[in-house]
Amino acid sequence: MAGPISDIEACIPALRRYSYALLRSRNDADDLVHYTLLRALDNLHTRHDDSDVRPWLFTIMHNLFISQMRKAKVRGRHLPTTDDIPNATGPAQEDSLRWRDMLRALDSLPEEQRSVVLLVSVEDLSYAETARVLGVPIGTVMSRLSRARERLRVATDEGVRPHLRRVK
Amino acid sequence: MTELAPIQEEELHAFVDNLLEPDRREAVRRYLSEQPDAAAMVADFQAQRDALRSIFAPIAAAPVPPALNLSRLIEERLPARRNTFWRQAASIVLALGIGGGGGWLLHANTDGNSPTGMAALAREAVSSHLVYASDKRRPVELWAPQRDDLARWLSNRLNRPVAPPDLTELGYKLIGGRLVATDRGPAALFMYDNEAGLRMTMFVRPVMAQTTGIHRVDVRDKDTDGFAWVEKGIGYMMMGPEDKLLERMAVHVKRQLDQAS
Repeated sequence: MAGPISDIEACIPALRRYSYALLRSRNDADDLVHYTLLRALDNLHTRHDDSDVRPWLFTIMHNLFISQMRKAKVRGRHLPTTDDIPNATGPAQEDSLRWRDMLRALDSLPEEQRSVVLLVSVEDLSYAETARVLGVPIGTVMSRLSRARERLRVATDEGVRPHLRRVK
Repeated sequence: MTELAPIQEEELHAFVDNLLEPDRREAVRRYLSEQPDAAAMVADFQAQRDALRSIFAPIAAAPVPPALNLSRLIEERLPARRNTFWRQAASIVLALGIGGGGGWLLHANTDGNSPTGMAALAREAVSSHLVYASDKRRPVELWAPQRDDLARWLSNRLNRPVAPPDLTELGYKLIGGRLVATDRGPAALFMYDNEAGLRMTMFVRPVMAQTTGIHRVDVRDKDTDGFAWVEKGIGYMMMGPEDKLLERMAVHVKRQLDQAS
């Protein structure tokens, strides 16, 4: 396989990561990835240039996530479970406690701020790409990022910095 | 110049995200060395970023489950539609607009009368598409490498010159073709697929209908569309999952046929 198909394939781990970060349940996350891939395959013919498939895939996923959340709201609010922390690499106990605080802080963010902070900090999308994925102006991305980081800082008390530094 | 430009809050974030040009990056670094409050904030933001990346890294590092295997997803899409064939076949309703005037609807088997003309052809094309395009292993009798044999054989059987058109420009390559039996004699079916594994077909047989232009055939299946036309006593119908592209293909093929004659 060559071309867009293998490019999409290369993005699957990142899509799983973002999906999990949003939904925090492995099954729900992989379902969202599944729907994202199906929709991407269905819409492959609408791509007429060789631009990066990553922002395109995140856009599809974001739109599916939003419509899923809307439906979930009708049925009753879904709250992510903070104790389902990925630990495939077995973080030290101390880390895992601190990460739990971080996750709780992340969960306390409004969805629109959480998406921005994840796309920028974890998925390495540029501010312009993030704006495109979320369908908002770049100025909105910047203000959401700023508010999100400030809230995370407050929510994790003095921030996670001193402890993490010591561990490293 | 750059040394004089004041540091904006946005640049502190860009600094955290490694998105600054080297000169601005240096300017921010200098600024932070003189502003302990800002430096503490930036360090917190960097720590947040590191923590989030570490927390979610194992998910991306884990093996992708088989259910998300892309080749498998592409393959599974065709058989998934096979299951719905009988339901579809039972409810096929064709709406074929003739000329620019009023279109007409044709319900298969509602009054026992068989459809005629282009409506009959459209109905045969739909059945052939549903049966053969969903066949993963043997969708055609002769495959693309035997293209010339295929064209010669089908031309003999239809007693008309027929050949598979070239659709590579539009992203579809020839899989091959087959002979199809109809009430009105033999017909030819050519099949194509694209990189994602989506299949489209072109159904061809002689027809006693006089219409001009390309007509949309309303196949009551949300995933499939059809376009039909008549050219010099031969009826054509293209079917596939990609509505807009399919229409372009029909135009493209009709033009190829016009030029060939």
